Amino acid sequence: MKDTNLDLLKNDSIEKSYVVETQDLKKTYLMGKVIVHALRGIDLKIEEGDFIAITGPSGCGKSTFLNLIGALDKPSNGKVYIDGADVSTLKGNQLANLRRKVGFVFQFFNLIQKLNARKNVELPLAIMGVNNKKRRKEAEELLRIVGLGDRINHRPTELSGGEQQRVAIARALTGNPRFLLLDEPTGNIDSKTAQEIVTLLKKLNEEKGITIILATHDQNITNEAKKIIHLIDGRIEHTNFERGVN
Amino acid sequence: MREGLIKMKILDVFKYALSGIRVRKLRTFLTTLGVIIGITGIVALLSLGEGFRIEMTGQFEQGFSLNTLTVTPGGGFMGFGGGDDEFYLLVNDTETIDEVEGVNIALAIISKQVSISSNNITRSVSVVGVNFTQYSEIYGSTFLAENGSIPFSPANDTIILGAGIADPWNNGTLFASVGDKINITWATGPILNPITKSYIANVSTILKEIGGFGLGGPSDNQIYIPITTAQEFFDTEQCNQIIIQLIDSNQETIDSVTSEIEKLYDDKVSVISPTALLSTISGMFSIIELFLVAISGIALLVAGIGIMNIMIVSVLERTREIGILKSLGMKDRNVLTIFLGEASLIGLLGGVLGIALGWGVSNVISLFLSVFMSGGVGGGFDTGQQQAMALSITPILTPTILFLAFAFSLVVCILFGLYPARRASKLNPVEALRYE
Repeated sequence: MKDTNLDLLKNDSIEKSYVVETQDLKKTYLMGKVIVHALRGIDLKIEEGDFIAITGPSGCGKSTFLNLIGALDKPSNGKVYIDGADVSTLKGNQLANLRRKVGFVFQFFNLIQKLNARKNVELPLAIMGVNNKKRRKEAEELLRIVGLGDRINHRPTELSGGEQQRVAIARALTGNPRFLLLDEPTGNIDSKTAQEIVTLLKKLNEEKGITIILATHDQNITNEAKKIIHLIDGRIEHTNFERGVN
Repeated sequence: MREGLIKMKILDVFKYALSGIRVRKLRTFLTTLGVIIGITGIVALLSLGEGFRIEMTGQFEQGFSLNTLTVTPGGGFMGFGGGDDEFYLLVNDTETIDEVEGVNIALAIISKQVSISSNNITRSVSVVGVNFTQYSEIYGSTFLAENGSIPFSPANDTIILGAGIADPWNNGTLFASVGDKINITWATGPILNPITKSYIANVSTILKEIGGFGLGGPSDNQIYIPITTAQEFFDTEQCNQIIIQLIDSNQETIDSVTSEIEKLYDDKVSVISPTALLSTISGMFSIIELFLVAISGIALLVAGIGIMNIMIVSVLERTREIGILKSLGMKDRNVLTIFLGEASLIGLLGGVLGIALGWGVSNVISLFLSVFMSGGVGGGFDTGQQQAMALSITPILTPTILFLAFAFSLVVCILFGLYPARRASKLNPVEALRYE
């Protein structure tokens, strides 16, 4: 266990502001009658502009970790700070507002089937109360950035897996989120398309400075990431970045 | 970050709700159908009820003869039940009744079902044999001539036609007019081998249109002949009813004359005042109306349960969608509004269609009632009471009814949509996203 390294990091938290910071983050839940320890204490600080890949076997807690730092779920123990705000102290509506600072991308795209690409991308903006004209402009702009400028009015069923994932990424980028969370973004698409997605993410990170945190099994992505966190059994098994000791 | 400003516009919430309805057209329509049926029933009944009430008020305002009583044979209500089959009222019973204190005029009426023909058209109508002079004295405001004049010393073959008989199609094509000759045929005896009698009558007068129910008095769908002609033609001394005009319309006079006459005939007659008849009919109508409104209410309740059921299924089906919406930062309140929005759109649609359909149905019922009740019965009530049954109700849609129907449909939908909508809004986003 490399807990000591993380303790070192903790000390400079006063000087530096982080996009996400977790302290002794634990999550247990009940599966039937069995208590599952999904996370057993994660201490992590994520800086602006990071490109972090979280790896590890299935059931190691990757998704749980993403859900927690995306304010979708509340920790059983420990703290999550998103943009300096303590998630555990927030109520329903504040939590919902906090989620607007996070861009979520899922393995199965999770697009709304009855809406076309543009409407899907507009949805978070509609939720924020942005007016029609503005959100249409922003959605079209974002779809162009992800390379779907000519697919704006297609429905998810008329798009390939890779295209759907691009729509999902465009949707995640609306409203200038503080960071993107991607849960197995290439897990459900072919390797060629996956490579295109990786290139897109890298471009977003390098050119636009967007902080990216993703969970993946895909070696291609891991290779491109600036930092890698390997999780096993709800703990950080090792990282590849400079933490004093590793 | 536009914090503080994060508030989804209600219009966008509704648009989203609408998109949910659009993709499930058939299911939405079937759900709405329940609401439509319920609202249709309620609107039809309320508008007919309103029409009936207006008609009643009109009846009173029309100078309804409050100082009259109707005597019919039989002790029971309106001659039904409790009567003595061997007891008849005779035409000259008026002489006895005339003696009762408080009675101004006593007038015998013979009414029968006959067929009349003119210009090769034959119709079945009810004929009233009556003394024209006394009849017009009692019903001065309704027994009025449109064409010709009421003959006070009529010839034996004189006949007066109600407005509905003279102009049955209400379009100027007349069945008969003043001066025409009409053949009157009366069938009596066994139905299979009837004995028929006929004579030629001379139309002297067409009455003004009366409208309304013609309670106890003249009505548009009758013909009138002198009482002496009726006695001779029908070969009878029996009359169907005796109309009494009282010296005034005080309740005491009504009560004392009523009990005096009942005593006189050993309770073998019933004495009814038109006010009592009217209130009885109105009471009956209210009960029927209440009963049918209750049935419509049940239909709406079932519709509501249907809405709830469909919406629970819909919430279950869309668990993942709700998870997505929440992960995108949608607030519980907005999720609730989306589902309530869907429910209220169903209510809105059901309300509008239900009101339109209800209006149609009430007009059909009204048409049916007027056709069925005026003449179509064909001798079913040959006791003089058919005069009271000449119903014609024009349905009326008031703003209150519109508002009530609309509000009711919305309230039912929202009420039953509330539980599923709450369930949707309380879903945990992580679990919802994991839902297959």
